[in-house]
Amino acid sequence: MTGHHDAVLPVDTAWLIIAAFSALWIIVGWWLGRKATGLDGYMLAGRNVGLALASATAMATWVTSNTTMAAPQLTLQLGIWGMVGYALGSVGLLLFAPMAKRIRKLMPNAYTSGDFIRLRYGKGAWRVFLVISFAYGLGWLISLGMAGGVLINALSSIDYRIGMTVILTICVIYTLLGGLRAVIGTDFIQTILILIGIITLAWFAITDIGFERIHSNVLETRPELLNLLLPAAIMFLFNNLFFGVGEIFHSNVWWSRAFAFGEGVGFKAYIIAGLLWMPIPIVAGFIALASPAIGLNIPAADMVGPMVAAKLLGLTGAVIVFIVVFAALASSLDSLLAATADLITQDVYKGHIRPDANNEELRKAAKIIILVLGMITWLLCIPRMTTLGELLFFMGAFVASTIWPIIAGLYWKNANPTGAMLAMALGTVAGLTAYFEIGFYVAALVSTAVSMLIVIASTWLWPCEYNWLDLDEAI
Amino acid sequence: MIISSTALSILVTTALIITVLAPVILMGLFIRDKKRGQLW
Repeated sequence: MTGHHDAVLPVDTAWLIIAAFSALWIIVGWWLGRKATGLDGYMLAGRNVGLALASATAMATWVTSNTTMAAPQLTLQLGIWGMVGYALGSVGLLLFAPMAKRIRKLMPNAYTSGDFIRLRYGKGAWRVFLVISFAYGLGWLISLGMAGGVLINALSSIDYRIGMTVILTICVIYTLLGGLRAVIGTDFIQTILILIGIITLAWFAITDIGFERIHSNVLETRPELLNLLLPAAIMFLFNNLFFGVGEIFHSNVWWSRAFAFGEGVGFKAYIIAGLLWMPIPIVAGFIALASPAIGLNIPAADMVGPMVAAKLLGLTGAVIVFIVVFAALASSLDSLLAATADLITQDVYKGHIRPDANNEELRKAAKIIILVLGMITWLLCIPRMTTLGELLFFMGAFVASTIWPIIAGLYWKNANPTGAMLAMALGTVAGLTAYFEIGFYVAALVSTAVSMLIVIASTWLWPCEYNWLDLDEAI
Repeated sequence: MIISSTALSILVTTALIITVLAPVILMGLFIRDKKRGQLW
């Protein structure tokens, strides 16, 4: 169906889609979860995930509401470099490929990224890392929960709080039922849905309006969006590169997958995911450039994607974008819930509270933690505090500080543990200062630079010898 | 320095082609893994 008329998803249709997909995710999650036996089965899907599911889960997790909604938002704010800069997020996936191989080889029995920091750098650095990880995990969860509410509110008259509550609840239920197996299984279906939806929307934007008309309208109304030398946008490009790398290198979402993928799968899966993810922000972002050509008045930048789709394709567009973002939200929310719950279970509950807990107790704890985490996220999502992009880049200051400590920890035998701890702490402080004093587009950049200097200087001045075999606790 | 309409169309079309190939590649890998019993 094509047509250039205003369309808002009728409430009945919106609820029908929510009900249908919620039922699908829960049934698939429950069905796959039946075979998730033991702690390894629940937390790491049995540690033998094949290439197809591995590639799709890495890709789906990285295609978040931030890709489908913030990429158009950033294109509207920063133009061409907004979408190309966002596409550089794939560099993180590509660079993590060799690391995933090394992580699995060095730590075949580990569960979390926290395990690595604790064994490699000791308890001081471990605790700083956990603070950063939880700040980021919670920030990302809030960003996703908010995106759910924003989407439903933008496309239908369903209240922001109700939409956000529904999406969070569904993800908590099926993650609870099936652990990482449910997450990875649903990710595959969600990836296919997201790709088909984005292709359809971009196709109609091109065929209904055309490159020439889109280009000339943007040139007339917002020429700065087509400017290849927009300074803030170029800074954003590099900032986003480091932000993406920092997010992936430190987050347990990606480490838990490195532990879960079968032998020899991790490297290939992350390369495939990176290459196939790269064009998605460009395609999704391009949709925002169509807004001047169709005379759309955008009240809030983070609504541009859904609004253009609805304007272009009427009800069909609203339905497609609803399904795409619902799948994108679910694919990332479930991963983050599972991975953050693993981190709390392993590094806080077992690491700090119950060191002697057995696997059965840890499995039960993981389930309770998923539930509590979902409730905390829900509470923090109730006030719609900031736009998705702003929240996302605030977190960049935190995660970018972990890039160098992790690279040095994995590849340099003589990396200094105190240096790694200080690099994470001071890098974060410097990044936050830059965020408030200069702008959101330099937070990750400054954080990475400060952290890098500290790691390199401390390793050079005070080298410490490390035995790689100490990373495998089973030895 | 403004990006031309042609350059914009090349950028977006290339991205769209790769995006179209993505589900085909993933489904192909899924069928291969399923046949070999290597899904999980």
